[in-house]
Amino acid sequence: MPDRYLQVVEPTDNVATALRELEAGETVSVGVGDEERTVEIAEDVVFGHKIAIEDIASGETITKYGKSIGNATEDIPAGTWVHVHNVESNYGRGDLADDDQAKVISE
Amino acid sequence: MSEFLGYERDDGSVGIRNHTVIVSTAPYANDTVKRAADIVEDAIPITHPLGRCQTKPDVFQTYRTLLGYATHPNTYGAVVVAHAGEIVDGDELAEDIAETGRPSDSVNIHREKGVMNALKRTVNSAQEIAQDASAQRRVPSDMSNLTFGINCATSDTTSGLCQHKATAGAVWRLIDDYGGRGCFAETPEFFGGENELAERAVNDEVKEEILERVGHWDERLQATGYDVRGAQPTPDNMDGGLTTIEEKSLGALVKSGDGPIQDIIDYGAKIPRDSGMYIMDTPGHGAESVTGIGAGGAHFMVISTGQGHTLSNAVMPTIKITGNPGSAERVPEETDVDVSEALVGDESFEWATDQLWDEIEEVVNGKVTLSEALGESQFAIHRIGPST
Repeated sequence: MPDRYLQVVEPTDNVATALRELEAGETVSVGVGDEERTVEIAEDVVFGHKIAIEDIASGETITKYGKSIGNATEDIPAGTWVHVHNVESNYGRGDLADDDQAKVISE
Repeated sequence: MSEFLGYERDDGSVGIRNHTVIVSTAPYANDTVKRAADIVEDAIPITHPLGRCQTKPDVFQTYRTLLGYATHPNTYGAVVVAHAGEIVDGDELAEDIAETGRPSDSVNIHREKGVMNALKRTVNSAQEIAQDASAQRRVPSDMSNLTFGINCATSDTTSGLCQHKATAGAVWRLIDDYGGRGCFAETPEFFGGENELAERAVNDEVKEEILERVGHWDERLQATGYDVRGAQPTPDNMDGGLTTIEEKSLGALVKSGDGPIQDIIDYGAKIPRDSGMYIMDTPGHGAESVTGIGAGGAHFMVISTGQGHTLSNAVMPTIKITGNPGSAERVPEETDVDVSEALVGDESFEWATDQLWDEIEEVVNGKVTLSEALGESQFAIHRIGPST
């Protein structure tokens, strides 16, 4: 039986949301569509936070709701906590905008 | 239940409350407004830092928002208090209020030769309006008259997985079963889900407008030269497990359901009377967004929260719903409806929708929400550009 406290929204997602606290070292069963996947938890994860349910390479898309929620900024092995320390957004990125534009605004 | 008991207005709208509001047109009238509202029982003060030294688009937005509160379906009548000659003109505002058949008065601090005389006149006018309001009775009214406002606040990862589903269920019940209206907002929180949202537009024109407005917010954010990650998700969102604005957006959009979008309207503009779902173009900042939806005339607001939030509005009652079992325990004063059993227990989302719907029926018939009982409210008009 998949753990009902690990929720995957769409079968194409590579992250699951923890609806209970997860402990480093525990092995969990994640329901992904009709399949079941076994993942070993790499570190403690608090309620509401996410874990990778497959190995994700640096730069790859993090998928939830079947859509991109950003890119991995480092390699994220399955069972690892996925949060602001290893994911970056692709929206409203003035820091990536044209240098001159940013300069004009800041003056 | 296809009817509720409401207050009929001359302009054809029906309110679920019968407020007397006292509106400031500039920061220099705020104290007079607050003092008068302290004296007159149940009078609601509308104060803000705007109303002067603003460019035209900003002035229109401020004026429209203030008029929206003074002529809200839940408002019986209003007193406008101005300081002197301002760009938001007090006499003009009072005249526009009177045109909807509501009692109104205009007080000007300079004209009254100071704050003491102005205070006395404001109190006397508001007192008279409040007393007349108290004589009005609720009468049976069709549910199709109701407009359902939707906003999220202190979202977390439970928001998109649970409470937003109940909110979507309830708003579409009002639209599909009763012919009412819904309005959601927070345009920067469409980032990542904007294409799917735009596909729900009733025609190509509305579809293009949605995408254009989302693009405009992205450009405005980029033009600051900074990374939106400094502002979104907010620290409380991140504590609750949200990682990026895209993740927050995809969850946030769940509260709008998946039905057709009739139109996207300007901040603070009147929500159309035709049945269906509307978007108001507002920032993700809850106080500003909710203030805009209130100005649009939504009768009540469902605030779908993950971590709990004080966010509320004095004129438009706010019903807070959460699906996070920890939050329902941590902030009970900010939890009108707890549907966490649908997330971590054995209940269904249909059950969660019913829980919310039952509370809505109570509130539109007069039951006060937790924030109304506590006298909690915030008011913040979104502004477009710098002061001059």
